[in-house]
Amino acid sequence: MNARIFLTQLLGALGLIVILGFNVIIMDWWERKLVGHIHRRPGPMHTGWHGILQPFADMLKMLSKEDIVPDRADRLFFWLGPAVAVVPAFMALAVLPLAPGFALADIGNGLFFVFAMQTIMPFGYTLIGWSGHNKWSLVGALRSAAQLISYEIPMLIVALGILLAAGSARLTDIVNAQSTVWYAVKQPIGLLIFFITAVAEMNRSPFDMPEAESELVAGIHTEYAGMKFGLVMMAEYTAMLVGSWMIVLLFLGGWHLWPLPPSPVWLVLKLYLVQSGIIWLRGTYLRLRVDTMMEMSWKYLIPASLANLMLVGVLATTFKGF
Amino acid sequence: MGLIENAERPNFILTTIDTLLRWGRSHSLWWCNAGSACCSLEFAAMGGARYDMDRIGSGLVRASPRQSDVLLIPGPITKKMAPIFVRVYNQMPDPKWVIAMGSCAISGGAFRESYSMTRGADTVLPVDVYVPGCPVRPEALFYGLLKLRARVRGTSNIGLAHREPIYVPPDLPPEWEAEVREFLGEHEAC
Amino acid sequence: MDTYANLAALVLAGLVGLAFVFALYGAVKLLAPSRPYALKNATYECGHDPLGEAWVPYRLQYYAFAIIFLIFDIETAFFYPIVLVWRQIGTLALVETLIFVAVLLVGLLYAWKRGVLKWD
Repeated sequence: MNARIFLTQLLGALGLIVILGFNVIIMDWWERKLVGHIHRRPGPMHTGWHGILQPFADMLKMLSKEDIVPDRADRLFFWLGPAVAVVPAFMALAVLPLAPGFALADIGNGLFFVFAMQTIMPFGYTLIGWSGHNKWSLVGALRSAAQLISYEIPMLIVALGILLAAGSARLTDIVNAQSTVWYAVKQPIGLLIFFITAVAEMNRSPFDMPEAESELVAGIHTEYAGMKFGLVMMAEYTAMLVGSWMIVLLFLGGWHLWPLPPSPVWLVLKLYLVQSGIIWLRGTYLRLRVDTMMEMSWKYLIPASLANLMLVGVLATTFKGF
Repeated sequence: MGLIENAERPNFILTTIDTLLRWGRSHSLWWCNAGSACCSLEFAAMGGARYDMDRIGSGLVRASPRQSDVLLIPGPITKKMAPIFVRVYNQMPDPKWVIAMGSCAISGGAFRESYSMTRGADTVLPVDVYVPGCPVRPEALFYGLLKLRARVRGTSNIGLAHREPIYVPPDLPPEWEAEVREFLGEHEAC
Repeated sequence: MDTYANLAALVLAGLVGLAFVFALYGAVKLLAPSRPYALKNATYECGHDPLGEAWVPYRLQYYAFAIIFLIFDIETAFFYPIVLVWRQIGTLALVETLIFVAVLLVGLLYAWKRGVLKWD
């Protein structure tokens, strides 16, 4: 491989770091602001204009906070856990296109690469919870593992419906197939199931079992102090970005906003609308109980997603234009 | 390593970084609520719509002391609970601060003469800000928080490790010690 | 060539991500105070002395869920090629998939009936 491609790719990877950092900063501020306004209070106000510098203050605080490694913890995995949670989410960003073909690696199997990376995240969470040698975090880790694997199946099956309709696993092709009618219109059940499972995969409220503050002190990151906790938060926000990006690409038409000309602006707009919706869920709903959550996946979402796949299959076989 | 805390003498780079860090820390004081008595409810009111401590960046009440900066003592500390408070304080990462909220946490208050109470939080913990009141109104606690912010913002951290030794909790009086052992013993059984 | 370039890009992204995480760890080493002692590094258990081990055996039900998960995950892998060429195959694909899903659903119903899915 020649040096020019390598340099371009290196710049692209650094650009991904910028996207990740920008997203974490914006979402940290926006989440506190939006939840504040849902509670009829202003949220951060005094750190810069309307608290816009709040994420920087938090970041500086975390960077200069003591980093405790408990004596009984498994030191190697205590250090590696946050990395295992952040890096796959970061790698998933590499295949997500911002405009037609404009991704670090627009691979032909992009959809499944993103799912593969999302599958590694539970490993990170489990390592984070297990390595602290704390009872709360171990329970949080196991719950997290059970939750993430349960909600992955309906998510994958719904994504199969999209593959069936688009006939390609390249994310650019999937989006271009929606230039006039979005899959949200063609497969509304799929969108509903995908949205629920995506929220569960992000560990966001109402599915934030791993970090159930009222039950398990702070869940998986009970023993995590300072920047390591910040990294776990970063992994969470990046997972949220990847999940909402997938929703936008698969169902909401990506850069298409028919009849207007396609533009990355629409994609970014939709991305932050979806993320705001997820924050709205957090401001409104209570946390589910762990058994209800598991049963919801296995008894309702999986049969429903299989039915959705069959419905899409029948429609695609009957109507050629579907 | 601690570039700032272990520095022998200030220089231009260190003071700049230190100013930035002090700004960051003072705008992001997260709570650990020890919740020992009824002042805790006034503290909860401070997170609500009228007072909204999130507006100055202190809106997060972390459940684990590992992620918090300010230990809030909203009430009296019983002799049985004293070692637990000390342990929670010690398990918070540096830098950390303590706010004693209400007359019970300041001096023992109404329970001062009781056989089972400590005479204030500062008999076991290094308190930074005392907020009087019975109970403390949220405005008063907010004022205390602003004072703590000013203190965090205004105190240089350069060479702190040479000035400030690790806080060693005072030895518990022997008559408490037996009670503590008994208390911990009955918990080991289950 | 294109495939290799993409693969290299992905590996590069992973390495840059790792470097980012460890750069943050380095910054913490530089900026944060560090004064560890036994009491601070003890396990946090709500202020008490930690009782016993935290790494204990846990419920068998997690294992049952992991097994069912594996079955369904492999099933999606089987679906994947059929679904991609669905339009070329037509009705035959539909019939085959229906049979496959029916077998799977019987399995799920069996697990449901045996009470494996009941979390208590």
